[in-house]
Amino acid sequence: MPRLWLHGLLELCLLGLLEEQRDYGLGLTNRLAEAGLGFVPGGTIYPALARLEATGLVSSAREPSTSGPPRKYFELTMAGRHALDGRRTEWREFSRSIHAVIGTKELT
Amino acid sequence: MSNWPANFMHALSEHGLDSDSVQRLKSEALEQATDHGLPPERVFGPATAYADRLARALRSTTVPPLPASGKESVALRLAGVSKRYGRRQVLRDVSLEVGRGESVAVVGANGSGKSTLLQICAGTVKPTSGTVERAVHVGYVPQSGGTAPFLTPSEHFELFAAARADSRGRGIATGLQLAAALGWRPRAKQPVGQLSGGTRQKLNVVLGELSRPELLLLDEPYQGFDHGAYVDLWTQIDRWRDTGTAVLIVSHMLSELDRVDRIVELDAPEE
Repeated sequence: MPRLWLHGLLELCLLGLLEEQRDYGLGLTNRLAEAGLGFVPGGTIYPALARLEATGLVSSAREPSTSGPPRKYFELTMAGRHALDGRRTEWREFSRSIHAVIGTKELT
Repeated sequence: MSNWPANFMHALSEHGLDSDSVQRLKSEALEQATDHGLPPERVFGPATAYADRLARALRSTTVPPLPASGKESVALRLAGVSKRYGRRQVLRDVSLEVGRGESVAVVGANGSGKSTLLQICAGTVKPTSGTVERAVHVGYVPQSGGTAPFLTPSEHFELFAAARADSRGRGIATGLQLAAALGWRPRAKQPVGQLSGGTRQKLNVVLGELSRPELLLLDEPYQGFDHGAYVDLWTQIDRWRDTGTAVLIVSHMLSELDRVDRIVELDAPEE
C-alpha cells in the first residue's frame, strides 16, 4: 500500500531524511521502513539517489567501513536544501487540497 | 546461476556509459548488496532492468541553458502560409508562433500537410504565399533519410559540427554524449548503412541537436525506436524546451501531447 503512494514522493522523502542526517543506502532504507513507509527495494532507492546526485541535489562520498567494504554516503547540497524547501511547500499545499477533497477531518 | 555483475556491466555499457563509470557502478552495487547481506539479484532485481533504471537516472543531468539573446523571444513565426502543388492545395493560411523555451506539436490527418509545413519552417520548401521568420540556428530532424550510408556516425558528427565553426573534435565528443542520452553508443568503425532503422533515426536526432540550435524541428523522429528510446526522446524534448530551445514536433503520438505547451491542428485534406 505505501509503495503506491510513495511513487513520486520518494525523492522528497530522501531529501527530508538526508536533511536530518547524511546516510548510506541501507540506512535510508531502514529509516523509511521505520517511518512506516514500507520496504523500498534497492532497485528503486538507488536509482532515486543516483538521480538526486546527477541533478546536484545530493553529493556522495565513499568511506571505509569498520564491518565490510566501503560505503557510499549521501548528503544534501545547498541546491538540495533549496529544492527541499520548495517541494515541501508544494507538498503541503497539495496535501491540504487532497484532504479538503476527500474530507479528512483533522490530520496535522 | 546467472552472472549478475557481468550482465549488469554489459547492460550499462550498452547504455553508453564509459568503462570507468561501469566499473565504479559495479563495485558500488556489490558493496551495497553486501551492506544488505543479500546477493545483488535479491537487492536490485534483474541486472538488465536495474542497469536500465540506473543509466536513465544518471542521464538526468541538465543541459546548459542557451545564452539568453535578449532581442527576440520568438524563434519561429509563420503568417498566412499557404502551399499549393499545381491544383492541389496542401496548406491553407497557416499562422503559428513558437517561442524560445516552448514546445509546440503539429497534428492532423494523413495528407493534411504536416511534413510540408515542417519543410517550410526549415526553409527547404518555399510557401506559395505568406511569410516565414525564423531564428538563425535551426536543427531539422526528418522522418528518415538525411544520413550517408558509407560514413560512420562520428564522421557525421564532424561534418555537421563543421557547418557551424565548431572544432571537429568537439563535434565528435558532443555527438557521442548526445547519443548516450538516447541510450546509444556508436561503434567506432561501423558505417551508418549497417545500422538499424531506429538507430539511424537516433543519429538524425543527434545531428539535429548537435549545434545546439535555437529552433529544433522534428518530423515524427521516432520511427523504429523501441519503448526505452521513445521515452528518452520525450525526456530530451522536455530538456531542450527547459533550456531555452524552441521545439516544433510533428507527431502522431496523441498520448504524449499533454507534454507539449501548445498544439496546432491542421485541417484534413480537401476532397
